[in-house]
Amino acid sequence: MTAFAVIVLPIIAAISAVGAAHRWERAAPAFGIGGTAAAWAAAVAVGVQQWGGADPSVVGDGYVDTGGFPISFVLRVDQLSASMLVLATSVALLVQVYSVGYLRGDPRYPSYVAFVCLFTSAMALVVTADDLFVLLVGWEVMGACSYLLIGHHWELEPARAGAVKAFVMTRVGDLGLLVGIFVLGKAAETYRVSGVIEAALAGEIGTGTATTACLLVLCGVVGKSAQFPLHTWLPDAMPGPTPISALIHAATMVAAGVFLVARLLPVFVLSDVALGVLSAVAVVTMLGASLFALAADDLKRVLAWSTVSQLALMFGALSLGTVDGYAAGVLHLLSHGVFKALLFLAAGSVIHAVGTQRLSSMGGLRRAMPWTFATMTVGFAALAGVPPLVGFFSKDAVLAAAVDAAFHGEAGRGWPVLVAALLTTVLTTAYCVRAWLMVFLGARAGQVTGPDAVVVAPVHESPPEMVGPLGVLAALGVLGGVAVLRPTYLGLEPEHLHVGVALTSIVLVGLSAFVVVAEWSRSQRCEPAEVLGPFRTVLAREASYDTLLDHAVVRPTWRLSRLTAVVESDVVEPYPRGADTGAGWASRLLRWFHDGDVQRYVTVIVLGAVSVAVVVGMVRP
Amino acid sequence: MIGGLELLLLLPMAGATAALTVRGRDGVAVWCGLAAATVTLVVSIWPWVALHGDGRVFVAETDVAWIEPLGIRWHLGLDDLSAPLVVLTTLLTWCCLVSLLRRPPDCGGVRQLVALVLVIEMGSIGTFAALDLIVFFVFFEVVLIPMWFVIALWGDPHDVVGRRRAATRFLVVTVIGSALVLVAFLVLRADTGTFDIVLLRERGVATGTGTVVATLLLMGFGAKVPMWPLHFWLPDAHSKAPTVGSVLLAGVLLKLGTYGLLRFWRDVVPDGAVAVAPYLGALGVVGIVYGALACLAQRDLKRLIAYSSIGHMGFVLLAISVLTPQGALAANYGNVAHGVITGLLFFVVGAVKDRVGSSDLDVVGEALYARAPRLGAIFAFAALASLGLPGLAGFWGEMLALLAAFDPNPALARSTYLVLMVIAAVGVALTAVYFVVAIRRVCQGVADRDALPDVATDEWVSWTPLVLATVALGIFPVLMLWSAVPAGLAGSP
Amino acid sequence: MPVLLPLVVSSLLFGIGVYIVLARRHAVLVLMGVELMLNAVNLNLVAFDAYWHDVLDSGQVLALYVIAIAAAEIGLGLAIVLLVYRSHRHIDLDQLRELADRDDADYPRDSSGVAS
Repeated sequence: MTAFAVIVLPIIAAISAVGAAHRWERAAPAFGIGGTAAAWAAAVAVGVQQWGGADPSVVGDGYVDTGGFPISFVLRVDQLSASMLVLATSVALLVQVYSVGYLRGDPRYPSYVAFVCLFTSAMALVVTADDLFVLLVGWEVMGACSYLLIGHHWELEPARAGAVKAFVMTRVGDLGLLVGIFVLGKAAETYRVSGVIEAALAGEIGTGTATTACLLVLCGVVGKSAQFPLHTWLPDAMPGPTPISALIHAATMVAAGVFLVARLLPVFVLSDVALGVLSAVAVVTMLGASLFALAADDLKRVLAWSTVSQLALMFGALSLGTVDGYAAGVLHLLSHGVFKALLFLAAGSVIHAVGTQRLSSMGGLRRAMPWTFATMTVGFAALAGVPPLVGFFSKDAVLAAAVDAAFHGEAGRGWPVLVAALLTTVLTTAYCVRAWLMVFLGARAGQVTGPDAVVVAPVHESPPEMVGPLGVLAALGVLGGVAVLRPTYLGLEPEHLHVGVALTSIVLVGLSAFVVVAEWSRSQRCEPAEVLGPFRTVLAREASYDTLLDHAVVRPTWRLSRLTAVVESDVVEPYPRGADTGAGWASRLLRWFHDGDVQRYVTVIVLGAVSVAVVVGMVRP
Repeated sequence: MIGGLELLLLLPMAGATAALTVRGRDGVAVWCGLAAATVTLVVSIWPWVALHGDGRVFVAETDVAWIEPLGIRWHLGLDDLSAPLVVLTTLLTWCCLVSLLRRPPDCGGVRQLVALVLVIEMGSIGTFAALDLIVFFVFFEVVLIPMWFVIALWGDPHDVVGRRRAATRFLVVTVIGSALVLVAFLVLRADTGTFDIVLLRERGVATGTGTVVATLLLMGFGAKVPMWPLHFWLPDAHSKAPTVGSVLLAGVLLKLGTYGLLRFWRDVVPDGAVAVAPYLGALGVVGIVYGALACLAQRDLKRLIAYSSIGHMGFVLLAISVLTPQGALAANYGNVAHGVITGLLFFVVGAVKDRVGSSDLDVVGEALYARAPRLGAIFAFAALASLGLPGLAGFWGEMLALLAAFDPNPALARSTYLVLMVIAAVGVALTAVYFVVAIRRVCQGVADRDALPDVATDEWVSWTPLVLATVALGIFPVLMLWSAVPAGLAGSP
Repeated sequence: MPVLLPLVVSSLLFGIGVYIVLARRHAVLVLMGVELMLNAVNLNLVAFDAYWHDVLDSGQVLALYVIAIAAAEIGLGLAIVLLVYRSHRHIDLDQLRELADRDDADYPRDSSGVAS
């Protein structure tokens, strides 16, 4: 029942926020924060119960007959679900508090709050649903909320374009997921997630079917989690309000893809092809995205590509197909949720204060915004993997699982994932340090001393409702490492720290940071990415992938649609018009006989009567 | 035996007569019609509720001899296919009459319009309730002439010739379809000796005759659905029709075609339809993709929704062509969902057209969210529902149709249907594209034009039932899916 | 007398009547042709009545009917001819074509060429 409350409470809050908005001024933030806080409390209650080792709890037993296998309206909460619930509601609550400051004075605040609450419900539904179709409902409602929220500032062209792109790309992926659900359901003879997993473990699903189903599910996952080849929507979703970027595009919705793969891992394990494809996608994405992050000039874009890259890291871990991989992937999911949300919210604080998102326009903010500086430093350090922060432990887990797989098990997938993960560590540190340097250290862009001094508006720290959540998340980042994130909370054996891997990653982090700082100092404290040289423009344009998609998919579709309109007006339309004209000609032809000459009429009658008589006479003599 | 369904036929007629003859101002006439429609709506819910449990039994059955020498009986009854459609009809008629209360047409004649709307309602209910071929045909035809008048006389005020042409085109195409349907009925009678649908279902029809009948019905009802390539009348009819006409046309009249196809293919000629079903599926899928592509290029909102109707009906046709109970459920769900959602869409677009003067995108302009926020919000809601967003009614119709195509009747080639399913899925993606593009063009953007009057109370009253129905059908699919798989029916597992 | 003789005569009369109706212009002449056809039919009827020795005398009875109807019809026909003469000053059938289905003058067309 408590799980059900987590889903229902935010919906009630959403409706109340919109309904009461014009009567009570504070309705929106009150209901938003209140409803989400209640949901958070319920989620924690569920979490405590599950982490304490209780059996997975099942809520509800309704079902609907469709003529095939029934669709069940059942919720099932196990440890994975509980952890995701706590993560989602916590970040949602912090985002609601943060938004009070960030969106102060925004006339569309009530609808914003309503959509965020609806999103929270949908995410809760996705992680607790025990039926694939119900999961799909939550999955797509999240996509719709994402679309509506990215378009929050719909008077801006990038927001409109970004919202459409996000919705369409994820919808295309979701169609693959839908067909994948069909295949899974038919193979397992049930649409219940628990039923599918049981069937997979019992060996009732053949390899071919599993491959088909998993590849189709991967379509949806790739779309939702912005992996190659559907990776370009996430950076373009950045024109949305920054708290949304933190909630949806960092901590929860994009993580739903990872959650789904983790949930269906028993089925994936049955198909080497599917795991291979997943690891290939992960490897390509994690490297490509981190390179793009290194060259991007927009702070949020850097973070967006970073998210894509980190998600790929999680997928890489899952694609190993081992228990360690699963644990590592999920751990990194949870920890990434924490520090990426922190980074986005802190970035929002910076952008709110400075008024621009461009890195080249920032600099020297550490004195003006001390709290933001401190918390964002923690965030960047966690992302880069600096011990003893939470990011270090989760990334270490991924590397350890990869080493294990490479040396002791699936060498085919283990080695690429390991090498890619190590390279990603280097690149991640590089772009983290670069962003950190460009935002907080050095001189403020435009602050030139002397007669050409450009006056820059003074910058001050963000209000407490924005800084508060930053502090909470930073604290979680620091403490989470050892205390909170333990595999026992997922029902697994405690993680052993792989010393060799840990040392390697620390060394790599240190080296990478050193190189970037050196480059930064050398380039007059401006742009460390200059070291990339001509390669930088290619990366800044993100390998022109969007242009490729535009030419290969978007423009042909528009051309086809214009062709269809032409077919409608020039090919289909002439037929009824022709029938119209033809009927006119036929009637004019017949009219030729009706010229008023009575005798001609009678002649025709006589001839007709005679011929009928002759025919009758011949037929019946 | 006499059931109560004649009440559902007499009430609208009484309302129409009252609207035409009652003395006083026009508003009184509309109230009379609305009263009749309200009672009809309330009465029509009972058969649906009474069916709960077994959808194969006919409720409120009436079976008396009518024209004995020809073997025609007055046989009415509702089952799981027709009961929801009757409620849909009465609901949409009620919403239409509410919208006429405070917004009578500028050219006058609201009494006659109310009467015509009620006659259309009666004809539709009669079609859904008919269990005799000739009774079905009679009511099927009753709907056509009033609709012609609605479009030709109360249509687009700026284009007299165009609306006549649109109405005539609608009439001619549909009547040609009806002629084919009549031939099919006569073939059935010649072969089996009875006009009664229940008897035909029990006795069965020989496969050869069944195939002929199924093909004729395909072409005949296909003109009404509308099935590609017989779809060309719909965009014209919608763009020239008044709001009330569009809502009824899209919400009810199109369902007459799909209901007819579903009823006769499922119950009367299930074996004969096997040979023709893949063609129906293919034409339906072509309609989905063609409709979606055409939508992207439309500059007129009403034409855009008309093409989207062609797409949605394509899904229903695909579901029918699967020839399984799952397909029948999916088709009926799609029918009801489309009726509710497209009815709402046409109401909203009609409201925009009333305020701006035209439904052309260039005239309507951008930033409806700013100029009339609630109107923009409802438009976005209806558009999201129509593109099949899960959680709202449209999703189940589309998803169940795809699911049904994944597992067609064993007598059909599965590979064909898998291909059709994939193409239909592409159509789903295209549908999403054009609707979000439409939202972007209409609702979002830079607000550089005047504000518009927002949604008025009477509009809320007539739209809220549709909004609630969309949400209810989305989160409680049990409303449409409670009927268990019928036993003893050809094609059931 | 063999029945062939009256039949031949009546056929000839009928043929002459048809020729007059189809080919002559004068309206009164055409009416006379119609009378000729009717009387030819009468002759036929009486001849066959006599040939079959019909108990009911149905041929003769029918001939009486035809005579009555012919009389009524000629009364109306001549009245119409008189009215035509009064309005047109002639009764030339070739020139009386007012009931023809005229082309476009009766039907207004819109700009796209579709008659409404």
